[in-house]
Amino acid sequence: MKGWRDPVALLAIPAIAYLLLLYALPLLWLLMKSFIGPGGLTLKPYIDFFADPFNWRVVWNTLVVALWVTLVCLIVGYPAAFALARAGVALQIAMLVAIILPLSVGVVVKAFAWQIVLRRDGVVSQFLVAVGVWDEPQRLLFTQAGLVLGAANIFLPFMILPIYSVVKLIDPRLTEAGATLGATPLYRFLRIVLPLTLPGVVSGIAFVFSMAVSMYVIPSLLIGDRFQTLSTLTGRSFLFMRNEQLGSTTAVVLLVLAVSVVVGSSWLARRLGARA
Amino acid sequence: MTALERTARLVMWFAALVTVVFLMTPLVVTVAASFGSSSVFSLPPPDWSMRWYQRLATTRGLWPALFVSLEVAAFSTAVALAIGTLCAIALVRGRFPGREAIATFLVSPLMLPGLVVGIAMLQGFKVAGLREAYSSLLIAHVVITLPYIVRTVLASLSLFDFSLIDAARTLGCSYPSALLKVMVPALGPAFLTSGMFAFLASMDNYPISIFFTDGWTKTLPIQMLQYVEENPDPTIAAISSGLVLLAILTLVVGDRLVGLRKLADF
Amino acid sequence: MSFLDVSGAEKSFGSAMVLGGVDLGVAQGEFVSLLGPSGCGKTTLLRIVAGLLAVDRGTVTLDGEDITARPPHKRDVGVVFQNYALFPHLTVAENVAFGLKAKRRGAAETREAVKRFLDLVHLADFADRSVRALSGGQQQRVAVARALAVRPKLLLLDEPFSALDRKLRETMQIELRRLLRELGTTSVFVTHDQDEALTMSDRIAVMNRGAIEQLDRPEAIYRRPATAFALGFVGLSSRLSGRVIGTEGGLATVETAFGRLVAPGSFVAGAPVLLAVRPERIKVDPPGGYAFTARLRDAVFQGSKVQLHFETTEPDQLMVETTDLPDGVPAPGSEMKLGWAVADTLLYPAP
Repeated sequence: MKGWRDPVALLAIPAIAYLLLLYALPLLWLLMKSFIGPGGLTLKPYIDFFADPFNWRVVWNTLVVALWVTLVCLIVGYPAAFALARAGVALQIAMLVAIILPLSVGVVVKAFAWQIVLRRDGVVSQFLVAVGVWDEPQRLLFTQAGLVLGAANIFLPFMILPIYSVVKLIDPRLTEAGATLGATPLYRFLRIVLPLTLPGVVSGIAFVFSMAVSMYVIPSLLIGDRFQTLSTLTGRSFLFMRNEQLGSTTAVVLLVLAVSVVVGSSWLARRLGARA
Repeated sequence: MTALERTARLVMWFAALVTVVFLMTPLVVTVAASFGSSSVFSLPPPDWSMRWYQRLATTRGLWPALFVSLEVAAFSTAVALAIGTLCAIALVRGRFPGREAIATFLVSPLMLPGLVVGIAMLQGFKVAGLREAYSSLLIAHVVITLPYIVRTVLASLSLFDFSLIDAARTLGCSYPSALLKVMVPALGPAFLTSGMFAFLASMDNYPISIFFTDGWTKTLPIQMLQYVEENPDPTIAAISSGLVLLAILTLVVGDRLVGLRKLADF
Repeated sequence: MSFLDVSGAEKSFGSAMVLGGVDLGVAQGEFVSLLGPSGCGKTTLLRIVAGLLAVDRGTVTLDGEDITARPPHKRDVGVVFQNYALFPHLTVAENVAFGLKAKRRGAAETREAVKRFLDLVHLADFADRSVRALSGGQQQRVAVARALAVRPKLLLLDEPFSALDRKLRETMQIELRRLLRELGTTSVFVTHDQDEALTMSDRIAVMNRGAIEQLDRPEAIYRRPATAFALGFVGLSSRLSGRVIGTEGGLATVETAFGRLVAPGSFVAGAPVLLAVRPERIKVDPPGGYAFTARLRDAVFQGSKVQLHFETTEPDQLMVETTDLPDGVPAPGSEMKLGWAVADTLLYPAP
């Protein structure tokens, strides 16, 4: 086949080789090693893992938090992406700065900042009391709600930017055409705008959900040891408990989960792209 | 405009407001806390003081960690720019099968749990006989920076008109010379944006770096988390504010060179 | 009152007035073109009729109902856009069905209408294709089928053929006209191409700087353009600047570079005017004494006719189109006698 002798293809070799050797291979080896016990091929670590109800709770925690974070980011991020695309220059700059600046600052800085914000006398608490939602100041730190809030804050840009990049490509004449064909504003949104934004939405959801499933620093700082996710459990196993067996098992479970999200969203994106 | 359209507009602007306030709050709070005089975080601070900034000069381990992070980030970004661009060229111009799968593969480190990748690499390096922390960091961080480069440069290259290279060659340039004189300037914004994000991602990385530290080698995030655990006082807020300042400067430079809107195409 | 009645339409963007009080009446089943250069306001007027733009002052009435304040989806006015605006995420058939589905017509009715209109534009075989795989001409036909499938009272077309090559454009013009006539659809067509307007329209509205300068049948606009602009924009012309010497009995005598000429019109003595005549109305070596001499600068052989360009001083232009040259095409530099009927002369205030 001609393709294999294409000289341009050679340019890809350094990058591919680098990742294959130093990233894919170690991951595969980690995966394989977890199935090998003292007596050969074994599923025992996994059976033990899933037999323990505590571990089910950990998996559940991971998924629930990731789902909530994704939901919050979607609800705020979808209209915000439209606002960004339609805004005047001043608001656009304000939004872009607000989105990109935190990205540049780093997870540790932000997670730490949320520690301050979520305390009983922190800004969020004061705001909610002032608005009347709460009767008295409460602590959000070390709660699931606080974790979701902090994580959503850090991942929101990753929902807004992919949706924004799709929204700004939508031809305004399309909704005009829909109107001249007799479609009400709601119909135009549901049948024209929404379908066209779907690739961006899928992209955003994939990013945020996989990042939320994988996050380590944020739950470490914001929720503590009572509430374990797959990521924090893996970290603890390796770094504190020195239990490499458990660590490898949880790592693989986490990996499989994350890979499924990547593959699933990529398949979904391709199906949407093929249909459009 | 119908009532429904009016409501939709309101929702949109409300979401924009919420977004800006929500995203900026942690940064504002941190900077404010760094100027507080007491060693307990309270907002608004009872007294303004610069003492936490003065502490920065004497904080143990801070500056070495900063330099380690900067060096590792610079190195890995440079390597990623080099091999990532070459790979992007191959993916756009090549005719071999599986290009889409390869692109997904190259971007996948972004989406996978950093902790797992770190563990895998640590064990892999051990088997290969590499136990030194610093070199491990340098090698590992390329895996972090490469996806950012490939993603953005690939997108930019797919929009590039390759007939410009042919034109340069008919005007007397060799193929590599044409690439350098025609394509590199056109890809400038993509290099800058992706390089910036890759650099920051490397500076910010914790889950992979945590496995490659020793007594002398720590990256900044690891050092900072140590401070948070050992003695949490507003010095950390001061460090964070320093990073915020750095980020603002990067943003201003990036806007001058490329424009804010281009930066959003990360 | 006409089927479509636009009355006193005014529109400004900031300090720029784009439409200055425009009146337009279109009869049912009629095909009217809005013809003019870019910036004359024709597209703005179209968008106002469609409801995509709000008018500052004035009214729009369709079939006896005042639709000025109605949003576009309640107007029953179809639009074919310049870039077609086909929905990229839908197939050809789904695009055509869109309006019917939006108005909740039944599934059977929708299917039949889609089939009928795809047949009418000869795209029945493309029903399930993605619109992105179609050529420009095919996309254009889908856009027309989609707009017509809901049987709007009025169809607006915004330069729909501008992106097509000439041959395809001419074919589409004929096909579209035939289709609209068959369906009896009232249509308003925006274009900057005077040939297109002349070919297709029942009547043409020549627009310039936010106003309609003339609204009439194509022959009338060509033979008797109402303004100097209409004269210049539609068709070729010979133009001589001059000064009126006197008016008598509805005829003005004008002093031009080629002597005294007479034209129908009434002007004050001394008024600066523009005297014009269509090139094919000028005769070489005319019988009788009403003629003058000019020196030939250029002769352009065009097969069925010859264009003769004569030496003049700016801004005058003297050209003749003729098929009648018994001695063949003369050489540049020759002196020739030219003349034409007074009734064919046009007279305007100097622009």
